[in-house]
Amino acid sequence: MKAYAQPIKRLISELAKLPGIGEKTAARLANYILRATEDDVCKLAESMVEVKRKIKLCRICLNPTEEDICYICHDKTRDQEVICVVEEPDALAAIEESGGFRGLYHVLHGALAPLDGIGPDNLRLSELLLRINNGHIREIIIATNPNVHGEATALLITRMLKEKDIKLTRIATGVPMGGDLKYIDKMTISKSLEFRRGM
Amino acid sequence: MTGRETHKTKAFVLHCLNYGEADLIVTFYSSDFGKLKGIAKGAKNSKKRFANVFEPFSLTSIIFTRKSRDMLAFIDSCEIIDHYDAIRHDLEKTLIASYFIDLVDHFSPEGKKNEKIFELLNNFLTLLGQEKTSDAAVRFFEMRLLRLAGFEPTLDHCITCKTPVANGTAYYFYAQEGGIKCAGCAKPERYDQSISAGTVRTLLLGKDMDIDKIKLINLSNSLAAESRNILIGFITHVLSREVKSLKVLEQVRKLCL
Repeated sequence: MKAYAQPIKRLISELAKLPGIGEKTAARLANYILRATEDDVCKLAESMVEVKRKIKLCRICLNPTEEDICYICHDKTRDQEVICVVEEPDALAAIEESGGFRGLYHVLHGALAPLDGIGPDNLRLSELLLRINNGHIREIIIATNPNVHGEATALLITRMLKEKDIKLTRIATGVPMGGDLKYIDKMTISKSLEFRRGM
Repeated sequence: MTGRETHKTKAFVLHCLNYGEADLIVTFYSSDFGKLKGIAKGAKNSKKRFANVFEPFSLTSIIFTRKSRDMLAFIDSCEIIDHYDAIRHDLEKTLIASYFIDLVDHFSPEGKKNEKIFELLNNFLTLLGQEKTSDAAVRFFEMRLLRLAGFEPTLDHCITCKTPVANGTAYYFYAQEGGIKCAGCAKPERYDQSISAGTVRTLLLGKDMDIDKIKLINLSNSLAAESRNILIGFITHVLSREVKSLKVLEQVRKLCL
């Protein structure tokens, strides 16, 4: 990095802080920015600042949004009595992309991870309880990831809500659509047999 | 130039760390090499080669290569032997199993083989999967691990006057000195909690008790609290930090267990 001028060095070191970006990739990106038109670079810089300044968490579901309440929570045509609980906003985006769900969401912003010291206090569970206590919720779909952390979070939510008169469901686990059984791992196959459905 | 050697071993997954976009650095506790760290290339996106294999406390069979003992291993393959389904279906058991592997991680230096620690983890995870959770099992695991790691506290006699533990006597535990003192030798402050000879004897008993008999032990509330205070205080002192997974376990217990 010695050969670069000071402002380029600074740009490289800032870009290298991004996830998955090492020093070489950062230098390549910095060189691209250097060659790009001033207009393009301004647009990039402005969009980054705008994201940071304008995006906040939805007051209801905690999904990042520009408004006080996100477009999903605003949509009165969606089923207001069903909440799908997800770990992160990208899980919400994936479910929305599928188009298979027309209820509301709740983003926990994490999952129970004892080895990393992430406990119930670090998750947005109190907001979920508040929503349940204040609204007429019929069903909670727990859509945390099907790994140890996600399963533990699902069990925790189940324990917390067991006294409430709400239907609690968990997303299904099993072989993916279009999959080939001989290439599926043992655990997924055993789960798919455990949770088989009647025809 | 030395070539890369290939090894195969049974290992428990202790911890995973994201590395770059798709790789994981995985910490294992293996039967043949003790604690070892390896990189699993493309593991985060893997649907076949590394699908579901790096889950905490899973027992796996790994094949890895490395140039020398002090270098990060390259994980070639990893297959599940047991993912302890019964533990994963129960919140408290999941948290206790996480605490077990967290302790093993903290008390094991990298590259130092200790088959007894591997066996201890294997036995206690099996016990946890088969039986109801109990404070006794957690305390006895701590006692046994401390002994195997070379940090066993002195509980069978007073560390000052060397008098063996006797019934009816009150004792005080000194984490800095690594053992108990009888009421005569200890100079307790007002806030120091005494511990009963019964607690001390139970912990000593649990240290060597047959694993199948642990399920029969049920600690009373006072005995559970005393033994917890002794061992957690001592572990925190030895490690010079709190064990994160224990903190989470206690947070969850307070909330809903």
